[in-house]
Amino acid sequence: MAASTENTANEFVVDVRDLHKSYGGTEVIKGVDFQVRKGEVVCIIGPSGAGKSTLLRCLNGLETPTSGTVVVNGHDLGAKDTNIDEVREQIGMVFQHFNLFPNMTVAENIMLAPTLVHKMPKDEARALAKKLLAQVGLAEKIDARPASLSGGQKQRVAIARALAMNPDIMLFDEATSALDPEMVGDVLEVIRGLAEEGMTMILVTHEMGFAREVSSRVVFTHGGVIDEQGTPDEIFNHPKSERLRSFLSKVL
Amino acid sequence: MRTARSDSGLKAGMRAWLRLLTALLAAVMVVAGLSATPALAADGTEAGDTTKNMSTVDDATRALAKKAKGKTYTIATDTTFAPFEFRENGKMVGIDMDLVDKIAASQGFKVTIQSLGFNAALQALSSNQADAVIAGMSITDERKQVYDFSDPYFQSGVQMAIANSDDSVKGYADLKGKTVTAKTGSEGEAYAKSIAKKYGFTIKSVDQSATMYEMVKAGNAAAVFDDYPVLAYGISQNNGLKTVTPKVPRGYYGFAVNKGRDAELLAAFNVGLKELKDSGEYDKILVRYLGANASTNADTNSVKTVERVSFWQLAVQSLPALMQGLKNTMIITALSFIVALLLGLGFGLMRVGRNKALAWISRAYVAVFRGTPVLVWAFFFYFGVPQLVGHAIPNWIWFSGLFTLSLNSGAYLTEIIRGAIQSVDPGQAEGARSLGLTYAQTMRRVILPQAVKIGTPAVINQLVILLKDSSLLLTIGFADLLYQAQQLYAANFRVTETLLMVGVIYFVAITLLTWLANIADRRLNK
Repeated sequence: MAASTENTANEFVVDVRDLHKSYGGTEVIKGVDFQVRKGEVVCIIGPSGAGKSTLLRCLNGLETPTSGTVVVNGHDLGAKDTNIDEVREQIGMVFQHFNLFPNMTVAENIMLAPTLVHKMPKDEARALAKKLLAQVGLAEKIDARPASLSGGQKQRVAIARALAMNPDIMLFDEATSALDPEMVGDVLEVIRGLAEEGMTMILVTHEMGFAREVSSRVVFTHGGVIDEQGTPDEIFNHPKSERLRSFLSKVL
Repeated sequence: MRTARSDSGLKAGMRAWLRLLTALLAAVMVVAGLSATPALAADGTEAGDTTKNMSTVDDATRALAKKAKGKTYTIATDTTFAPFEFRENGKMVGIDMDLVDKIAASQGFKVTIQSLGFNAALQALSSNQADAVIAGMSITDERKQVYDFSDPYFQSGVQMAIANSDDSVKGYADLKGKTVTAKTGSEGEAYAKSIAKKYGFTIKSVDQSATMYEMVKAGNAAAVFDDYPVLAYGISQNNGLKTVTPKVPRGYYGFAVNKGRDAELLAAFNVGLKELKDSGEYDKILVRYLGANASTNADTNSVKTVERVSFWQLAVQSLPALMQGLKNTMIITALSFIVALLLGLGFGLMRVGRNKALAWISRAYVAVFRGTPVLVWAFFFYFGVPQLVGHAIPNWIWFSGLFTLSLNSGAYLTEIIRGAIQSVDPGQAEGARSLGLTYAQTMRRVILPQAVKIGTPAVINQLVILLKDSSLLLTIGFADLLYQAQQLYAANFRVTETLLMVGVIYFVAITLLTWLANIADRRLNK
């Protein structure tokens, strides 16, 4: 497929090298190297404005890097012959504000991409929607409109919608930040289930307890760079940098 | 009188068709025309048929006239210039129309009448789309350079009229210290000015005949100075005015062909006209439109007036014509709206898309059509394009109307649709693109359905504006609702009542349309 860089392409499903991203004159990401292996669950933590979400959004082309390379599943996103739509089929993304399509039912939200992109027959797509909704605990909401759902239910539908494309990687951009506290648990439960199935996942999160529990690795970003990364034990119990210690003291 | 009107399109005629064959005849016309121009009589002289002894018909003319037999001629005329041409129950009638009909019958040729408007009729003649023009047109030296005129068939004049109920004014002397009205730039105004000082009145000029009459009836002006035949016809239609002074004779009206062309038609007209005058048929026509004493007597004080019908009778009489107008209004609105929606959608998508060149084209389109008046485009399409392509185009008035309205409305719809698309949450596009949908799929399945919902009220509003704007097309002679109304009150002088009917019809149509559109909105966007 697309031009791969070095010999790490097979090893890493996500390989980011020297990533820079500026908005106008402001540099938000100031040189990030970031790799993820298949099956890893990586949580990105850090203070607001550290560039966490921007880094995540660079991984599926919602943001275009100012410089540096982003290789996902062997596709160099910056290469001219890369079809970004094809790459996105392999990456599921879940947003803070769900971004469900209000003009469609829950089932139609989930069936849209499989039927349009994968040309899946309608009945097959509906069966898939049914199965995924059962998986996220919302089987009875299949014909509901998004407007009638609570925030937590919306987010679980959004996860089911992303899973319907059978992605290799799932990205979660502050998936629980907009939820009422009592809704957070249901969503985290679904994500935990995915982790147990071995899904490669990258999560930007403020749920430190959850990050400690599900992560195989935690990445702490600060001021547009990766300040420190390691196992949950290393990051939460033995933080090295002063900035990480200060951050943890505020959020824990 | 029509000398004040501009004659666009004369140049085309000047280039063409100077032929030796009819040079002699043309010369005769010029001499006749010149000698017929009367001197201005300050205090009025006797009127009536002063064209009686102006016939140039001789044996040569009669011989030439025979060549017209069996042929069919296209004769262009004005849309409404009562009593010379106007619509009565949908049919063109009037002094000009009756003369042409009778002459054609007696001389054995056929006629197709094209009711185009005065300037358009002259243009049609100049570009040889019509063979002749008869439109209450004064014979002038300027026009004689490009047209060959028939013998004069009518002598016009200026006359003063006062309100029917006014017994204080018996002559010009009674106007001292009062205000009179006249049409801006008309001969009536010129005549009023020429005697204003002598009789000590002031003149307030306005643009429309109907306004002048209303001013006099309302007492805002003591008298009106207007074209004699127009006044006489109005009085015969019971427009609430009367005359107390004789008419002041002015220019002569003639039937025109292009210079050097259709000499046999001109000859046939002259022969036919002479026959009508000799037989008394001509007088009958004048009496029909100008009242009992019009043809032979100077004063029209005692003209017989028709019965003034009630409002409901007027409504019943007007309804067929108004409904025809409403139908045309609705058809042009519907067609224009469909095209405008397509334009708006196309340019709206170009505007929000990533292609900079296309976005720029869309901006330019909106800037041009939002930044220029509808009338400019109506004139451009209707008068300009046929001249650019060099020939007439069938049904061009419909296309002109369609292009004008849809391009204008399309510019507004472009902005409405752009705004609606941009007001859809950007997260929607991100959600769809993240799933692997292409830009086009995202637009079609996710963004546009939501944009339609957001934009529908503004689009309905634009539809209503479009329907009302369609009345501007009457300026190019498009027979819409308001145009039909103008035709009606030009003939019956019931201005206020006719406009009231039109207002009610527009209101009902727009209310129904809005109601239907809102139902459709609720169905589609629930």
